Amino acid sequence: MIVVKNITKIFDGYKAVDNISFTVEKGETIVFLGMSGCGKTTLLKMINRLIGPSSGEIWIDGRKVDDQRPEDLRKKIGYVFQNNGLFPHYTIAENIGTVPRLLGWDKEKIRARTVALMEKLHLSPDKYASSYPHQLSGGQQQRVGIARALAAYPPVLLMDEPFGALDPITRAHVKKDFKELDELTTKTIILVTHDIQEAVELADRIFLLDKGKIVQDGTPDHLLFQPANEYVKSFFDDQRFQLEATRIGASDYSALQRAFDHFKNRQS
Amino acid sequence: MQEQSGKLLQQTLQHIGLTFISLLIAVVIGLPLGIYITRNKKAAGLVLGLAGVLQTIPSIALLGFMIPLLGIGPIPAITALFLYALLPIIRNTFTGIEGVDPVVKEAAIAMGMTGAQRLFRVELILAFPVIMAGIRTATVINVGVGTLAAYIAAGGLGEFIFGGIALNNTNMILAGAIPAALLAIVLDLLLSRVQKMSARKRRTAVGVMPVILLLFSSFYLLPLAYGTRLLAGFTPEFMGRKDGDIGLRSVYGLDIRTVVISDAVMYKAAYEKKLDVISGYSTDGRLKAYDLAILEDDKKIFPPYYAAPVIRKEILAKYEELAPVLNRLAGKIDDSIMTELNYKVEYLHQSPEQCAHDFLLAQGLYKTPRNGTKGLIRLGSKIFPEQYILTNMYAMLIRGYTDLQVETKTGLGGTKICFEALVNDKIDMYPEYTGTALLAILHPTQELIGRLTGNRDSVYDYVRRHFDERYGLTWLIPIGFNNAYALMMRREAARQLGIRTISDLSNYLKKNKS
Repeated sequence: MIVVKNITKIFDGYKAVDNISFTVEKGETIVFLGMSGCGKTTLLKMINRLIGPSSGEIWIDGRKVDDQRPEDLRKKIGYVFQNNGLFPHYTIAENIGTVPRLLGWDKEKIRARTVALMEKLHLSPDKYASSYPHQLSGGQQQRVGIARALAAYPPVLLMDEPFGALDPITRAHVKKDFKELDELTTKTIILVTHDIQEAVELADRIFLLDKGKIVQDGTPDHLLFQPANEYVKSFFDDQRFQLEATRIGASDYSALQRAFDHFKNRQS
Repeated sequence: MQEQSGKLLQQTLQHIGLTFISLLIAVVIGLPLGIYITRNKKAAGLVLGLAGVLQTIPSIALLGFMIPLLGIGPIPAITALFLYALLPIIRNTFTGIEGVDPVVKEAAIAMGMTGAQRLFRVELILAFPVIMAGIRTATVINVGVGTLAAYIAAGGLGEFIFGGIALNNTNMILAGAIPAALLAIVLDLLLSRVQKMSARKRRTAVGVMPVILLLFSSFYLLPLAYGTRLLAGFTPEFMGRKDGDIGLRSVYGLDIRTVVISDAVMYKAAYEKKLDVISGYSTDGRLKAYDLAILEDDKKIFPPYYAAPVIRKEILAKYEELAPVLNRLAGKIDDSIMTELNYKVEYLHQSPEQCAHDFLLAQGLYKTPRNGTKGLIRLGSKIFPEQYILTNMYAMLIRGYTDLQVETKTGLGGTKICFEALVNDKIDMYPEYTGTALLAILHPTQELIGRLTGNRDSVYDYVRRHFDERYGLTWLIPIGFNNAYALMMRREAARQLGIRTISDLSNYLKKNKS
């Protein structure tokens, strides 16, 4: 469980994050959604102390993050970067094994874990384990980035626009394989994006941010169908039709299928 | 040439040693400093600025600054080279680490690496090519600047280069310059290979580099492993001359550990006990200033360098009164008087004119100028104090004893320029030395030189006859002193060791082999 209490971050007099509080339950997937400069990435980075808050407190599983050594804290929190952030001088296997090595796992355990993760993310270990990041495609690099974040079984996973730099087709593939990872079910995930579709698709709850504040939080349906104010409403307006269609379609797929079949039969 | 080939190896080893010792120190200090300023940006400007200023000091001047602080020998040379190597290493460490992709740096933090883990596992490895480029630059600079170490008795390939320049010997210059250039090229090539190593090999390279640096550094110590109790400092010119180091070894069997040093700092180094024996000039004023004693050349290897005016024959014929006037100085100035006069000018900073005036007055030779208008005599001189003093004396004598006018053209560089000016009727006379005239102008055979040197009169007679026949120039009567090469020791040390002659020195060294 992550508890954020009255967190504020001020950069040169500008409030990037303005007195935000929220709680994330274990196993939940939260999406910070918002436009550039809304404070979502700053908020994310304060959770693993990449950025220190100006005021406020963050607790993870009952421990205040400031009370532990930042290195120890971060080893328990997976982190995925938008532009993969892989170590160019490490092989794919070494990249994935980064945190386990820091934790002092023995070699065989690291190797087994690396191979397992590569297989789950559809990266052939035989082919790529000894490759360097620059020898892989963008999509493959991002898969390695995800594998690296998951390697040491962190209970919390932070993802900063993890699919943002990929082309639409690659993005769909990587996202699909990501969603299918069995080990995600027990993890607390916080993901940052400006992509409304992605937010709706992945989130248990969406936090819509604007000017350093949470404008509304709730399930995707909640934000879509019961916007708290005009800002939330207009934020979703552009893609409302498509989104609502997919939401209904998802919940009422069989009805749609029947209607489709009926239509086809009449044609013949 | 064979004698020199052993030296070439020794000097090359010394050169490599000098380069790498200073490089090693520069890496040990520059690398952490470069890392430090990536963590403290406020200090970055200051540190890089200071290192940049050091870099702009001309190398010869930097060595000059080192002498009063650290004396002569390897320490000031290594210090100077180290200071030169510092900037490229600090700067490239700084820019190398700064240049690491910020996302990668943040990733290292986010993975939970500590500061040291980030530095050693990520930043330094990724900055490696840039840092190596800095070390490469520093190495090439050090090989180049290292040649100057020969000026302050630190050895290296500069010994050949400066010896060659002093002796106008192109082969000797090349013997130093080509190995130095090759050394720079080879090291640059090797380091470029290291620089381009793959990330995996870099980790090995980082481990092996200090060992290689230390190994190469130790080359410098090899030549010092065998040595004698006393240390000699000889000028580059003296090292290469038959009537210098080579003669000392062949005729006297003198076996002394020798360093090469510029004559500008040589006397002082002897005085400060950094050197025990030096090759000086017998009338140099610093002989007196630093209380040095000349060792007698008992086997006569240094040819006599008696000074006498050399003058164009037509002028003597035209103004018959001139020769007797100029000869008034003959026999008046012996070695110790000349040394004293040089001391006044070089060390007490008296003007040559004042010095000449005082001397003539004391000798009862001075007469007030007659300010006559009979004709013009043009006096030349080479570019050092002794010549200025003599020229001033001759000018005063001519003005006081004849109705002739005098024009002085002092500071005509070296022998070559003075002699050419005289032959080409640009000047009428200048003071020359018999040994110089023999070796630098007449170029007789080795065999003849062997026969002539050792006897002051035979050299003088030979020179006078040939100048007259070949160039129409007349040598007047010698002034009396002999400004020859001489070995010198601190007066006190020579007395304690009972060394009076060069043979004594040679015997002392043989008896006290360490």
